[in-house]
Amino acid sequence: MVIGFGDFDDTFRALDLLQRRMDRVLYDWRAAPPLERVRRQKSPWPLVNAFETKESFVYKAEVPGLAQGDVSVTVEDEALVLRGERKADIPDGYEIRLRERPPVAFTRKLALAGKVDSDAVTAELKDGILTVTLPKAKETLPRQIAVKAL
Amino acid sequence: MSDEAAVQGTNGSLRTRNPFQRSVAPPVDVFENGDEVLLVADVPGVPGEAIDIRVDSDTLTLEAKRQPADASPALAREYDERSFVRTFRIPAGIDAANIRAEAKRGTVVVRLPKAAAAKPRKIAVR
Repeated sequence: MVIGFGDFDDTFRALDLLQRRMDRVLYDWRAAPPLERVRRQKSPWPLVNAFETKESFVYKAEVPGLAQGDVSVTVEDEALVLRGERKADIPDGYEIRLRERPPVAFTRKLALAGKVDSDAVTAELKDGILTVTLPKAKETLPRQIAVKAL
Repeated sequence: MSDEAAVQGTNGSLRTRNPFQRSVAPPVDVFENGDEVLLVADVPGVPGEAIDIRVDSDTLTLEAKRQPADASPALAREYDERSFVRTFRIPAGIDAANIRAEAKRGTVVVRLPKAAAAKPRKIAVR
């Protein structure tokens, strides 16, 4: 006999093990959230760097692909709010081979580090960087006090 | 052209926050039609003249050099102003001599035209 009963048992044991492993693989796969959702939760969009100069606060956001009408900048109760959308830019008639730049609709509310002159805020978009300059409110600027000799 | 991903990143990791790393890999989209393969990368903060694209036999290296970080004290730092570098394997059937690139609003679009022999052709039946 080529295959003894012992070998036969081993075969079924192996099949059983294989099935259990497959079940586990499928279970893990179903339990894992879709890739897109993981990435969205991981980091806010856009990413922002902020600096302080003597006269103003400067916020810089990475917004590659955004045009002038795609983003709005407002100052609302001591916070800078960036709202907008990066639309899907798949060209017509092309198939997707790799997609790491998904479209995104965003609202980011960034607390300001101090009072600002909200009428004098400027925003500029260049090479995919949005730079918002918020001049500090006049009453918070350091003032030189004249010393009078008596 | 095969059904596989047309252009594969050889250093697939997305932007990481390893402080010892001098550059980050930009996120990339790859699109393909009958005539060409399009590679679109996000390189915010880099003007067109600071973007370098090198083609060496079957690899394409995209390098976007970013200006040094601002010196002002940082209130928030969510991204590092590091240069973007990523290398791709060019698939067979690309006319490497006619690869063109264009920068716009912090993105760069690289057009890789297919060689005539690789394009789908319609054969007239007589």
